[in-house]
Amino acid sequence: MKFGLFYELSVPRPWTRESERTVYDNALEQVKLADELGFDQVWAVEHHFLEEYSHCPAPELFLTACAMVTRRIRVGFGIVVCVPEFNHPIKIAERTAVLDILSGGRVEVGTGRSATWTELAGFNASPDVTKKSWDEFVRCLPRMWTSEKFEFEGEFWSMPRRTILPKVYQRPHPPMWVAVTSPGTELDAADRGLGSLGLTFGQFAEQEKRIAEYRRRIQLCEPVGEFVNDQVSTVNFLYCGEDDAIALKTGRQMANHFNYLAAQLISVRETYPSKSYPSLGLLPQLRRQATGPDASEQAGEGLCLGGPERITRALKRWEACGVDRVNFLVNTAETIPQAEVLASLRLFGKEVMPAFNGGKS
Amino acid sequence: MPVFGELELETLAGRLPAMKDLDTEAWELPKAEILQLACEVADGTRVLLPRALHPAIPEYVTFVVTRYPESPVGPFNLAQVRLMARAGVHPRGYVLGAVASSQGAVAVLRERWGYPAMAGEIALRRYHDRVAAIVRREGKTILEMALVDPEIVSGGDLQYIHAITLARVDGAAQLIQVDPHYTVHQASRGRADVARFEPAAWNAALLELTTPISASASTCDTDLPRIRFVMDPETPVVRGTRKVR
Repeated sequence: MKFGLFYELSVPRPWTRESERTVYDNALEQVKLADELGFDQVWAVEHHFLEEYSHCPAPELFLTACAMVTRRIRVGFGIVVCVPEFNHPIKIAERTAVLDILSGGRVEVGTGRSATWTELAGFNASPDVTKKSWDEFVRCLPRMWTSEKFEFEGEFWSMPRRTILPKVYQRPHPPMWVAVTSPGTELDAADRGLGSLGLTFGQFAEQEKRIAEYRRRIQLCEPVGEFVNDQVSTVNFLYCGEDDAIALKTGRQMANHFNYLAAQLISVRETYPSKSYPSLGLLPQLRRQATGPDASEQAGEGLCLGGPERITRALKRWEACGVDRVNFLVNTAETIPQAEVLASLRLFGKEVMPAFNGGKS
Repeated sequence: MPVFGELELETLAGRLPAMKDLDTEAWELPKAEILQLACEVADGTRVLLPRALHPAIPEYVTFVVTRYPESPVGPFNLAQVRLMARAGVHPRGYVLGAVASSQGAVAVLRERWGYPAMAGEIALRRYHDRVAAIVRREGKTILEMALVDPEIVSGGDLQYIHAITLARVDGAAQLIQVDPHYTVHQASRGRADVARFEPAAWNAALLELTTPISASASTCDTDLPRIRFVMDPETPVVRGTRKVR
């Protein structure tokens, strides 16, 4: 099992230019430490207009900074929103390539389509067709990275024959993933040979079932890229402390704060009836199930909050479910002081990570 | 922490519905027809929202016009303007204003569920290419809206957010959660068109519509339920919620 960090970059009010900078600086310091501790990857989302919840509209810039202060950790560019009003596919291909070159071939690419009215309407994009545009984008990107010349005529974008430069550093190209929140999207990932980048916390039984179906389906896939990325990743919270009860309480505060901020946004489902966004697919809704006041004990068991033993137990369960990677949110809106976040990461590296992968980082 | 509402309760003094008690009996309301439009509004609605609630990001309202063909007070129509908000982590629609089509309905809606209902005329009409509603009070049209170019969708594609009313109970202002059930038999969606809206007639003089979001219409069995939760309008709901039953 591999471990990573996952950043939404939430900034609490009142906003000052220093508070924005502090959040970014703290995240960079955490990534630098994670690299030293043997974490495998760091992901940064693309979000727009999501007040307090996420001030991360340009993840590739943040990840470039991460790459510059680290040696080994991989940088997860995503979720890149594959909707033409947000990003032109040529620009996605180019920015990915530059980040891959600057990082020495450490890029992973996560693709998605946004789940909030707040963002989609902000770019004047229709929620009804985001899945179609995503599909078109993910089929083009590998060819744009690997073909000397590329031309395309599609429903959402077209281009005449040109050389898209530079090419990615990794050969044949970086691993590709799909953000999975709506039930069934993991099957879309499997059919295309893409990794399942789960963004919901969910419960063990539900996740196990979905992962099993993903594994079965990907055996039969027609990959959109040059290779199949048969991996399942999930997101979790992490706060690891010596005292289990205190760490659990502190971590719960962070998780609840995250949940609270997520709930303030307008999901597509709330206000725009569309088959494209089915009822259980809401990121905030599923996060609420897992972390909110109504969360069951069963859901709570899956969270990586508490002492090293409790966290190890939870991760062993996830491993048994078939999860290959777990990416951690380590703070929300600076709820936990930076020194404690770093201490939590160090303790996790010392006490929990050796219990996986035969103790090798 | 997200921003909160900034409503000065004194501005509503004397206008709040007075509820008899919180022991409201539920009403079964079969075969209801609901037309709902959502529309973004200009900033500045926080002064309309009780301090217990958070505004949605971005701020928006819903217009809900319902025809109830059967009820204990006979058939009636109800029109509501709701400022969409969050009660903690839960989406809720704070009812700014309401109009009901019969005096009997007005009285009961105010006394039992805290709706700020006034009497008026409400027409809800289905055409081939639209579902339209017109609300009039004192000879003046205060809302004219339509779902344009309806297309059939699944009932599961619709989401009806629970309402919150502000009323006086035992002399004190309380937020009342009204959380009906819906069994949708038929549903459609389409473009939202608001041809006329008089915000002052809905206790929302400051409200300025900006971007239409969506429109939906449904036929469903629903209810007006027993009161389950009330909230202190001046305290964040995490601390100020009381379970009635």
